[in-house]
Amino acid sequence: MQVASSLERVTAALELREPDRVPTLNTLEEFSHINKILNKRAIPVTFFVTNKYASKVGDKLAPLINKSGYLDWEMDRRTYDLTAASVKLGCDSAWVMHVPIFRLRDTRYATDIYGRYYDVALDKQGNLDTPMYRGGLITGPDDWKAWDKSDLFKWPARTNKAFARVQKDFGERIFVMATFLFGLFENSWQTMGFERFAVALRREKDFLRRYIKFYEDHWCEMLEAWADAGVPGAIYTDDQAYRSGPMISPKLMKELYSDSLCRITETAHKLGMKIVIHSCGRVYDLLEWWADCGFDGVHALEPTAGVELARAKEMVGDRMCLLGNVDITHILVDATKEEVFEAVRESIAAAGKGGGYIIAPTNSHPDMSVERVQWMLEAVEKYGYYPLQV
Amino acid sequence: MGEQLEKVKTAMAELDLDAIAPGVQSALDAGEEPTLILANMADGMAAVGELFEKGEYFLADLVLAGEGMKEGLEVLEPHLKAGDRGGKGTVVLCTVKGDIHDIGKNLVATMLSSAGYKVIDLGTDVHQDKVVEAVRANSAGAVGLSVLLTPMVESIREVVNALKAAGLRDQVKIAIGGACTTQELADKMGVDALGRDAVEAIRIFEGFFS
Repeated sequence: MQVASSLERVTAALELREPDRVPTLNTLEEFSHINKILNKRAIPVTFFVTNKYASKVGDKLAPLINKSGYLDWEMDRRTYDLTAASVKLGCDSAWVMHVPIFRLRDTRYATDIYGRYYDVALDKQGNLDTPMYRGGLITGPDDWKAWDKSDLFKWPARTNKAFARVQKDFGERIFVMATFLFGLFENSWQTMGFERFAVALRREKDFLRRYIKFYEDHWCEMLEAWADAGVPGAIYTDDQAYRSGPMISPKLMKELYSDSLCRITETAHKLGMKIVIHSCGRVYDLLEWWADCGFDGVHALEPTAGVELARAKEMVGDRMCLLGNVDITHILVDATKEEVFEAVRESIAAAGKGGGYIIAPTNSHPDMSVERVQWMLEAVEKYGYYPLQV
Repeated sequence: MGEQLEKVKTAMAELDLDAIAPGVQSALDAGEEPTLILANMADGMAAVGELFEKGEYFLADLVLAGEGMKEGLEVLEPHLKAGDRGGKGTVVLCTVKGDIHDIGKNLVATMLSSAGYKVIDLGTDVHQDKVVEAVRANSAGAVGLSVLLTPMVESIREVVNALKAAGLRDQVKIAIGGACTTQELADKMGVDALGRDAVEAIRIFEGFFS
């Protein structure tokens, strides 16, 4: 069979056709991974966070850092480097996030432009890690009305610029799946906290509907910005499930979010883009609904949440491409090369038949091993060519 | 059973948030024993757990039940005597060092408390020495450790080792739970049980104290 380009290979899989081999998606997105792959040095921020005296200076500098736009610039750079690292690894596609959303309160706490607050986190190399979510600042309609949304409105133009640069330099070599944080469900609950959200589901549905609509419009604007930059795909990241199942009843999920998700996928398709949904957790009860909403694919399919690829393939494999399923608690952290190869072989055997499968880690965290992701890619070269021999 | 008590239990089980606190007040006004009202709230909470296991209720419903329990207890608490709650045993709960996620841990705390256990909730990002101190100070019989993030799983081992070093490991049973936990991890870390959700966690702690 003729060797396909990465763009052709990924497009074929997303359209449920059989490519020349199973395509690959890179999800490694931590600074430590990017630096390792690109041989870059970490920015030494640990000192300013952990040293008693330096952190006092850092606390004073926090408002200036926010005002200078340094963090947002770092995020622009990360988006570019993340794509460059994915190309260097040899992946067919990459989950490319652009999130100029964080604002420092001081050296320990941060907020984001939606209304979450976080603990500042560092990885083991001293890089800034994804900050750890602590709770939400929007306790009701009044908080939401008063919330400064100006940075949200500026974001589409900034993301357009960041992805235009990415597409110009890498667009012909890799299928970029653009994304940002967060999806509508996560934005609904994380900005107010889950306890508050659970109560709002009973007592303040109208407020929630208005809230969801605002973020639906925001998502559509971001899709337009990506499409204008030439990005071929998007990942709609929205953890709607956890290890035992959906976080709220699927019936309520559909009632509140169906119209918005349908509009988001329709917008992507009208713009000529593919769109994949990402959700952690045990997602069986949501798969058919996501297919009904028009998603081209579904990512994560976490083995640690009990998701079996073969079952997912049987349920929706004729309607959506499956992406992910390679474990990030053991296989891509500390497994042997044989274990990694066997995990890849099993995933391809379960979901590769007839196309419609893109192999990928289920997520990203700093303890994942770049070497094991490279083994994953090697194993795809061994087992992933059609006709499959697994 | 009194009509008012039945109403409290039904309001809890049906997650009728607006009826729980008024129901508790009506039961008190009708002269029902506070401990009986508490028992009916707990029965309602147990019914919520059963419906969760049957797949009829979801995580948000468990959390809502917890919020309902809190609202009901705000009315009931002033009428309870010391010793009316927490007689089944003492459990120390926390999210481990390095991790600050607490939805699951808070849920287990509320459900254990409503099931009659004394809960020492140490919060999030808790150092192993604090767990040891809490077990010792409260003569706890069990420890529950929550962890969401894979990079933080070693913190579980640190708690186990600290309890061993303090000579307390034989006194306590340890259960873990959270998104990244697996049975393999539980075995590797030398803990006694893995809870896949809050309802299973309650059953595990019931087993520890039986």
